[in-house]
Amino acid sequence: MLLVTYDLWAFVSENWRELLDGLVNTLKASAIAIVGSLVIGVVLGASRAHRLPVVSQLTAVYVEIIRNTPILVQIFLFFFALPQAGILLDQFTVAWLSVMIWGGAFNSENFRAGFEAVPLRYREAGYALGFGPLGTFMNVTLPIGGRISLPSSINTYISVVKNTSLMYVIGYEELTTTAINISNLSLETLESLTVLAVVYLALVWGLSAGIRVLESRLALPETR
Amino acid sequence: MPEWVEPVARYILTDGLPGTLRVSAIAVLGSAIIGVVLGTLMTIRFLPSQAAIRFYVEVFRGLPILVTVFVVYLGLPSLSPSLEFGPLTAASVALVLWGSAQVAEATRGAVQSIPNEQHEAASALGFGWIGRHRSVILPQALRRLLPPFVGLLVNIIQNSTLAQVIGGVELLQAGKSQSERLTFFPPAGIGEIHAFEIFTGVMILFFLISFPLTRLAAVLEKRLIV
Repeated sequence: MLLVTYDLWAFVSENWRELLDGLVNTLKASAIAIVGSLVIGVVLGASRAHRLPVVSQLTAVYVEIIRNTPILVQIFLFFFALPQAGILLDQFTVAWLSVMIWGGAFNSENFRAGFEAVPLRYREAGYALGFGPLGTFMNVTLPIGGRISLPSSINTYISVVKNTSLMYVIGYEELTTTAINISNLSLETLESLTVLAVVYLALVWGLSAGIRVLESRLALPETR
Repeated sequence: MPEWVEPVARYILTDGLPGTLRVSAIAVLGSAIIGVVLGTLMTIRFLPSQAAIRFYVEVFRGLPILVTVFVVYLGLPSLSPSLEFGPLTAASVALVLWGSAQVAEATRGAVQSIPNEQHEAASALGFGWIGRHRSVILPQALRRLLPPFVGLLVNIIQNSTLAQVIGGVELLQAGKSQSERLTFFPPAGIGEIHAFEIFTGVMILFFLISFPLTRLAAVLEKRLIV
């Protein structure tokens, strides 16, 4: 006879400190990865959109490798295989590094599409005003193309947050690892899964709601 | 080639690859069938059913797939012992929940993109709701769904590695267990570390499966736009 007791309140009041630490670790890895993948995306996306020799070809290879292989295999490679080459990374480093490299690949595609959508005549106008190539990019292509790629890039950031849950396999104490470890000890499986689901849905739904507000604010004037 | 490569590669291909293919096949079929049905039902203007399907879609698209895997593998058995699945089946079920939510959302968009005249013409020909959708609307909508569907296939194949986390033997787990075995001292292993070669090999295998499919999705998408 399987005796099932379900007491969510007792579970939360007993374990909220550990769970909060786990959430903080999830947010820490996510924040670093999001900022990093934004920088990677803008720089490499620009190199693709403007067909910079060598850099744009290398970016294409990077993007195709990351997009066509499972992120879990990438994490395994960083954590279990790199030590063989003498590179020993701790859990936290692998956590943010692997999702940053993953998010950066998707973001380079997002920003490439955005920058390519900026009409050529806008850039010509920038040159005509006396801007150099970098000035034209910073003042014309980035503000306009960046806003075009905003929705798709934010979807990538949401995936980045969700992918930090995979750090369970390397034992980084983020939210999923913490909750599953607690449930393995206390056998309060349903309670810990409830907490996991509610916190992740609050994060993801909250982010996508925030995006819709941001999107309408940053929309280009002619689409408003 | 070093002596250890052949048995390792053979194990990965004969024991790992079938696991990956099994999980992917079940997940793709289940996602397609459930997703198309839910997506079509979502276009009916009936608030309770629309709200229920919307909730299903938002929950399973919002959760990290690994959490859904744990819900199926750890959560369901503690609700009822009859809901206990093996790792590969549990991963398949979790991927169906996620994949069907993706397909439902895409199907809703595709069905709603079919102009109203098509519905009216089919009704004028005497089709009821079911006949209208089966013979007129869905055949057109499904054609628009083809490119995102190939993309979903790639995602499902890659996410089938999540079975590894709960101990299912698929490509990644096969590679991991072989790389651990090699580190044992003889006679169990050879006392050497070859994790780098093995995981790179697994990565190349996934790339060889995924890359042609992503190219196909891109070609299909271009052809559809023209």
